[in-house]
Amino acid sequence: MADQPCIIGKAITIQGNVSGNEDLVVEGRIEGAIALSNHLTVERAGVVEADVEVEDLTVNGAVRGDIRATRSITINADARVVGNVAAPRIVIEDGALFKGRIEMQFDLPEGVRAD
Amino acid sequence: MANTVIGSSIVIDGEITGEEDLEILGTVKGKIALKENLRVEKSGVVEADIATTTVTISGQVTGNILAGDKVELTAEGRMVGDIKSPRILIADGASFKGNIDMDA
Repeated sequence: MADQPCIIGKAITIQGNVSGNEDLVVEGRIEGAIALSNHLTVERAGVVEADVEVEDLTVNGAVRGDIRATRSITINADARVVGNVAAPRIVIEDGALFKGRIEMQFDLPEGVRAD
Repeated sequence: MANTVIGSSIVIDGEITGEEDLEILGTVKGKIALKENLRVEKSGVVEADIATTTVTISGQVTGNILAGDKVELTAEGRMVGDIKSPRILIADGASFKGNIDMDA
């Protein structure tokens, strides 16, 4: 079944919790919460109003909510994101719109205080 | 192929609404309201009330179904709940427990 990607199509709205262990592509709308141990892609037409916990997140559409990724968050040029994001790696492309707080997890060199 | 696919490891707890075909290989609990066709595949588990045009069940469904056109329970399908639809097909080998109403 892994050959079939999990897609939420343009004309679909989900209100509630989505969880799972596979890649998910959102072209439609999800309101609620998403918890995924894999890659979440929000396509250009996609709208996510949810708290998101994933491994990797790629945003080409719109996301409102708090995002926590265990690996990376990529906010592409056409994306709009409002919320607080936390991940070890965060990329914001030129042209992307973002409002919120960013928290990257990393260690500063010795002797430098993080706060 | 359906436009929207809920993969086999995906669990949705809530409400799915929409106007396109939906294919479920994972688990959906709550409510499904669709203007198009719904397919519950062999690995699919649905605990929800369903309102749609057609439903094809090869997996497991618990809940009531209201279909505008057709409900098909294939040989692998298992369903507990009431069905209301003008056309209902139950294949040899399917399991079903509930009421059927074919009044259009």
